[in-house]
Amino acid sequence: MRRASPLRRWILSVLVAGIASAAVAQPTPTAPKTEGGVIVITAPSGRKMSLAVPPLLAPGVAALQSRVSEPFTATLRSDLEYSNAFVVTDARTDPSGTRDVATSEAAGRWLATGAEVLVDTRGEVAGDRVSVEARVWDLKSRKLIFGRRYSGGATYVERIAHTVANDLIKEFTGKAGTFLSTILFVSDRDGARNKEIYAMDFDGRNPRRLTNHHSLILNPDFHGGKVVFTSYVHRYPQIWTMSPDGSGQHELSTGLELNASPALSPDGSLIAFSGSSKGNPDIYVMNSSGGGVRRLTSTRALEASPDWSPTGRQIIYTSDQTGTPQIWVMDAEGTGARRMTFAGNWNDEAAWSPQGDKIAFACRNEGDFNICVMDFATGNTVQLTSEGANGHPAWSPDGTKIVYQARRAGSTQIYTMDATDGKNKRQLTSGGGSNMQPVWLP
Amino acid sequence: MKRNWSKPLAVMFVLAAMLPFAACKKKPPTTTESARPSESPTSPSETRVSPPSNPRPQDVSSDALNGSVEEMNRRGYLQDAFFDYNQADLRDDARTALAANAAWLKGHSTTQFLIEGHCDSRGTTEYNLALGDRRANAAREYLTSLGIDGSRIRTVSYGKERPFCNAETEECWQQNRRAHFLFTAK
Repeated sequence: MRRASPLRRWILSVLVAGIASAAVAQPTPTAPKTEGGVIVITAPSGRKMSLAVPPLLAPGVAALQSRVSEPFTATLRSDLEYSNAFVVTDARTDPSGTRDVATSEAAGRWLATGAEVLVDTRGEVAGDRVSVEARVWDLKSRKLIFGRRYSGGATYVERIAHTVANDLIKEFTGKAGTFLSTILFVSDRDGARNKEIYAMDFDGRNPRRLTNHHSLILNPDFHGGKVVFTSYVHRYPQIWTMSPDGSGQHELSTGLELNASPALSPDGSLIAFSGSSKGNPDIYVMNSSGGGVRRLTSTRALEASPDWSPTGRQIIYTSDQTGTPQIWVMDAEGTGARRMTFAGNWNDEAAWSPQGDKIAFACRNEGDFNICVMDFATGNTVQLTSEGANGHPAWSPDGTKIVYQARRAGSTQIYTMDATDGKNKRQLTSGGGSNMQPVWLP
Repeated sequence: MKRNWSKPLAVMFVLAAMLPFAACKKKPPTTTESARPSESPTSPSETRVSPPSNPRPQDVSSDALNGSVEEMNRRGYLQDAFFDYNQADLRDDARTALAANAAWLKGHSTTQFLIEGHCDSRGTTEYNLALGDRRANAAREYLTSLGIDGSRIRTVSYGKERPFCNAETEECWQQNRRAHFLFTAK
């Protein structure tokens, strides 16, 4: 019963069609406008599978409804809407009465709302424990796609809902969902001149501070179970490592100045960074356990902001050797450097997608910075933002989303959007000073 | 009438006698003021030309180095060097400022200092960290070329993280594109 391969093939074909249409940069009937060789996407693309997600059925008093059913349902609906695989139908159109789709008549009432799939969840509460049974039906064939039971504490029903949503994503797209993932970021919320590293859930909830340097901390990155960042706690910028929960903080010595923009290799064993000796910033690498510092670039120009390919064999970085900051790529040994970006007069802060097929970066031609995504093989580039000053993109672990910072009305905050077309923009932080430089952990 | 005629002559004579001093002495602030000819006629007895004093460096030092390093920084003995947008090349005004700094630093050879590189808010965070490093080092290089011992100097880049002002105006952007000097030891 778990195979449901025709349905999976259908949703995959929709997703592939969406990706393909983005690649040729004609996602909609609306003609995209071109600015300096970059396609600006202004309208949505792709068709999504339509899900009906009625409230968690939980017998009991009203207090139980507000404590368990409502947060569970709201979280599940929000997660599924947020993914770019689904559209969730309006709950007000749900037919009343049975959720049994054993008869074509019953299934027809759900189909009439526009839904193709019914996500039926039923819960039981015993003491402080909740168990939830999720049954997912293909309404046309009236076949069970997915049936699973979950249990956990009543105080964290949202977490149970995130788990259900992750399983649905995995079932329909084959990719791991990101609804239990964490985003690290930098914020000055605890003092305007200091910046520290914070963590939050993927949707911006539960922000918590991880560092306490009372200083300037910049550019966290994550790979291979480690977090790396730059701290000015000892006056000069140095590279530090720590665990994703903030424990085990360790300062690494490089013998260089600058020590900025550290990026961990995919297995976490190496750190690429922007180092400097006598005012000549270059890309360097070192062991993430310390030592082994060596220089990869040797131009007289400025090199900065490295990031690794998912294979660890290549590094993208910024160089101004042609007069303006542009994205370049080289082998991880520092050989074979070639220029990647040719549009715009300032490109920086490139991040390689988890699949290795795209790079996201801060791009500017005129006016403010935006987020651009380039297809690595073809060089085709789409601009995914058009409001405010945007920067510092990072990819979700499944490669479907980009998290980035945007300054609007004087305040810098963290947003996410769909990686293919910039749709589904959500603001994750608000207030609490400036929030920036996000990185998305699995 | 004869008395009035003799006065200007006497003044001219005194001024002519001063010329060698003015030519060989490089602007000692304390003596040029008294030696400068007044525009209003003065009697010869009022124009006293004392030999230019030659203050010894340690005399000045003892004043300048009074108080803490923080107080010295507040007094602003060293001038900042300013830069063009996305540039780390030294402009003429930056060279003038740095040359003045070099002269001061030669007279106060025990001082050590930090050069901070700063950028305006318009560029990206990560590139600007590297650009600030270049600016601080451009200032360091020029000072060492003027004879300042490089071991007295450290540099740090703040990119656009420590702005001097926050307005989105050309005036403010210019304020933030600088190499900023701070004493660290005296």
